[in-house]
Amino acid sequence: MLKFMKYEIRGTYRFILGVLVLAFILIAGIYNYATRGNSAGGNILVVLSVLLLFGIALVTFLHIVGSFRRELYEDTGYLTFTLPLTGNEIVASKLIVALLWFFLLGLMLALYNLLMLRIFARIDINIIEWLQTLAQFITTRQAVTLVIGAVIDGVSLLLLIYFSMTLSRVTFRNKKIGGFWFIIFLVLSALLSYGQFKVTSFLPYYLDLATLKIGTLESMDIFHLTIRQGLISFTTSQYINLAALVYQIVTMMALFFGTGHLIENKIDL
Amino acid sequence: MNKIVEIKNMTKKYFTKKALDNLSLEIDAGKIVGILGPNGSGKTTLIKILTGLLRQTEGEVFIDKHKVGVYTKSIVSYLPDRNFLYKWMRIEDAGQLFKDFYPDFDEQKFAELLAFMKLEKNMKIDTLSKGMMEKLNLSLVLARNAKLYILDEPIAGVDPVARDQILDAIINNYHENSSMLITTHLVRDMENILEEVVFLKEGKIVLTGDTETLRAEKGKQIDDIYKEVFASEEE
Repeated sequence: MLKFMKYEIRGTYRFILGVLVLAFILIAGIYNYATRGNSAGGNILVVLSVLLLFGIALVTFLHIVGSFRRELYEDTGYLTFTLPLTGNEIVASKLIVALLWFFLLGLMLALYNLLMLRIFARIDINIIEWLQTLAQFITTRQAVTLVIGAVIDGVSLLLLIYFSMTLSRVTFRNKKIGGFWFIIFLVLSALLSYGQFKVTSFLPYYLDLATLKIGTLESMDIFHLTIRQGLISFTTSQYINLAALVYQIVTMMALFFGTGHLIENKIDL
Repeated sequence: MNKIVEIKNMTKKYFTKKALDNLSLEIDAGKIVGILGPNGSGKTTLIKILTGLLRQTEGEVFIDKHKVGVYTKSIVSYLPDRNFLYKWMRIEDAGQLFKDFYPDFDEQKFAELLAFMKLEKNMKIDTLSKGMMEKLNLSLVLARNAKLYILDEPIAGVDPVARDQILDAIINNYHENSSMLITTHLVRDMENILEEVVFLKEGKIVLTGDTETLRAEKGKQIDDIYKEVFASEEE
């Protein structure tokens, strides 16, 4: 599986580098105009650059998830699906590399923004101080939960896309209606969200991350008072619906194994 | 004799259309077998099922006594009828990929095949002509010491010089202990390397046998027998 990931990374890194260079140039332009003061031309350029950045983000997302689609619809599938790999290994490789790229892109853009703030706005952000300030409002447990939650959401989204693409390919042999996967994706998203809503309503028991108590929302405090180094701050608690969490994990696993099964046993190239 | 391929009552349907119809076939280890038939006869469907790119609707398929899956993919060296390599690659990357995934890949043999085909390791895949691409794909496939080679139309669409080179490469790099399945409708060019033939028509086997025996029985070359069997299709 690691070997397959290696080729997946080698196949996409040039595109990612190109995206980063383009995004860096646009961001530098935005900071440059934004810190020079108002001018009609400058404002238009800033707006255009921001729009272009959104465009780049969308194209990058589609390119990364499109790596999976290309295996299903292009001739390289004849290589990928005849390698001695299980369907699960192929899905896992694609998933991990996609997550790796999104993480790296996010990290690089965040660091670059800090650099731009320092150069153009003369704002020197000390990351450690910034994290210490943040820690007054959010506990470590909450921060870890937020990160894990974001990863689960990202993995679920990618798996739902992969599953929709594979189901579309397995159902319709005609490559011309390959875009049908998006309709399947929308329908499945709606169904899964409705399922999550029903599960949450049926089992309204939440875990309070601040106190680690389980109960209904009505039985819990909404705010917690925290006193640190003489500062008094209020932190809103995070509540996790346990049934919804289990539902999401089960759904995620079903989508993963379902995609692997379809690739291994149903795909018709 | 060991059977490398065993197909029992296999049918492949696309809705109501049968691409393969209750097909049964056994291939002995160590044989070069030609799957012959015109376009649409079911040759590629049969090969795709053997390589795991398609699933049969009914029946059973075994390669080296195993159902088609990860193991069979590791012992089958498959040449599809299209460019299956990633476009960003150079020839050396393609060789490295085969080395990474197939323990039976012989780097030395690959280098010899590339030299024979007049291909350079640093050539980019997306700059190769169709003939060069076919030669590269064949070099990769033959550089493996696989139990079963499956070649789908290996000489279709290439010029006569490249065709001869490809045929020479197949003859010179074929292992006695391995088996080879070749689909083609260019029978005249291929018949001298085939030990057995299977004639496919509308998803069914209409004739099969040892090439020498068939030639003796019919008093004709395999190419002429092919024309006779499929005469109605060509008209």
